[in-house]
Amino acid sequence: MSAAHVTAPSRPLRVGIVCPYSFDAPGGVQFHVRDLAQALQRAGHEVSVLAPADDDTPVPQVVTPAGRAIPVRYNGSVARLTFGPRAASRVRRWIEAGRFDVVHLHEPMVPSLSMLALWVAEGPVVATFHTSQERSRALQVAFPLLRQSLEKIAARIAVSEDARRTLVDHVGGDAVVIPNGVYVDTFAAAEPADRWLGTTTAPTIAFLGRLDEPRKGLEVLAAAAPRVLERLPGARFLVAGKGDDGRDAAIEALGPHAGSFEFLGGVSDEDKASLLASADLYVAPQTGGESFGIVLVEAMSAGTAVVASDLGAFRRVLDDGAAGRLFRTGEPEDLARAILEALDDPADTAVRRMRATAFVRRFDWSAVTEQVLAVYEMAVAAGEALGSPVAPSRSESAVGWLRTRWAAGGEDA
Amino acid sequence: MSWSELALVVLVVAAVVVWLAWISASRLDRLHRKVVASRVALQAQLTRRAGAAIDLASSGLLDPAGAVLVADAAFAVVDDVAKSAPPGGELALDGLGAGREPAESELSSTLRSALGDGESVRELRATPVGEELVGQLAAAWYRAQLARRFHNEAVAQARRARRTWYVRLLRLSGHAALPRTVELDDQMPEGLTGS
Repeated sequence: MSAAHVTAPSRPLRVGIVCPYSFDAPGGVQFHVRDLAQALQRAGHEVSVLAPADDDTPVPQVVTPAGRAIPVRYNGSVARLTFGPRAASRVRRWIEAGRFDVVHLHEPMVPSLSMLALWVAEGPVVATFHTSQERSRALQVAFPLLRQSLEKIAARIAVSEDARRTLVDHVGGDAVVIPNGVYVDTFAAAEPADRWLGTTTAPTIAFLGRLDEPRKGLEVLAAAAPRVLERLPGARFLVAGKGDDGRDAAIEALGPHAGSFEFLGGVSDEDKASLLASADLYVAPQTGGESFGIVLVEAMSAGTAVVASDLGAFRRVLDDGAAGRLFRTGEPEDLARAILEALDDPADTAVRRMRATAFVRRFDWSAVTEQVLAVYEMAVAAGEALGSPVAPSRSESAVGWLRTRWAAGGEDA
Repeated sequence: MSWSELALVVLVVAAVVVWLAWISASRLDRLHRKVVASRVALQAQLTRRAGAAIDLASSGLLDPAGAVLVADAAFAVVDDVAKSAPPGGELALDGLGAGREPAESELSSTLRSALGDGESVRELRATPVGEELVGQLAAAWYRAQLARRFHNEAVAQARRARRTWYVRLLRLSGHAALPRTVELDDQMPEGLTGS
């Protein structure tokens, strides 16, 4: 399908992709890595993904587990990251065994596997920056050590204008913007499910995202719900995502309106596509920290009408509001207004949905993979001018090197 | 019994009560001071540990991801030190404050992951710089463990003293808050020994 559009590469590449976050807690970066790996394989390239995972957790065949991810408080929220001497030695062995033409690191400024890989690798390295994050004080302490690593990156990709701007402001240097990819056709072909289909009097409104992360905006939706229910008492809010604390807080905040909310927990990919295809409206009330809005694109691909907060990233995905409706970020009253407008004016909403269906084509993986491959080609060409494929570096601190060698030996024994 | 004898008995009883109260109150005061002093000592060692962790993180001896996370956890502790101390807080009896204990536990677990097992700690200590930095960290960490044990013992003593009936009857503890033990994760990494 989509892979057919990809131009044939001059030769198949051996690509090593490093994902900093664990696959057992799904998130935007993990999905991006998984889908990119798949799209590259379809285009005829050899791909290996290194990601945090226990040795006994089931992972896709393409993934090499790099050890357990440890929950750590970082930059104000808890993230599951992999670091330390043992992880470093796994990264080194993976790079050594892979003999990659190019290594593609995701989020190298997040203190996890990608940062380790950048420290260890030498050769054509491509890096993708996903989030627009501030440079923390901790990062500044380690920055002198990181700078040398960062200089190894041959080509930098940012998934959005916001991510690129953060990179320019906080790290320095520029990046090419290649948006996130979505398998548009998968979502366009998704079958609606009866249990999630709405009616005129009982429309369904979907929300997807972690419930206990305030920036995902479940609170905003919960605060907007009473006004929506005042007009449409039968409306059903379908909330998908993990996070029991967030769910309990939302139920408490809703009080008597809690009955209109259905909490679906974590949903499978098929259910997600089906949920989006069934719902009358998809709401993205995120309050910040979003650099792209992948679920928004998925909802648009599924043909769902969308209402989103007017964050810069969402504005761009929604063609400045022409492909959906925007509301003022963090304001429940404005969200309620936008939801009611979308449900009250089906003709206008249909026009916006048509616009969305055409607009999301540019986010399809076939288009995105082609751009990524062009970047690889440049990096590989530059690498070939210098000599070797990707190899573990010998130049970082001698102690660290010895230490990881030792740990590797100890594990093999 | 004549009135003079009765008066004498009353006087003696009153004197005993006053004496008992005096003794208990000063004992209680001593125990409260001990709680405060041991808490201050504990805080000093924990702050020293955070400083040593930042030094280690900025040394280049750890892997960059571990270094960033250790620095982040240590800054959380240092920031808490800088912002706390409400009026009279330096004499508080009830622990380190709401934010400090989780921050310290977080620093402990992050350091354990970043340092790895006994082998990697030994490798780290193989250079003079590594030995110096890890030694500083280990020394502060071990002393923090000791200080916490002594502090919690002082808290237990003070609480025992406050439980006796005459202390409660005479309200000898006044408005002083009930001393609270400091509970945090300060288990040292494998292969890291202080002293």
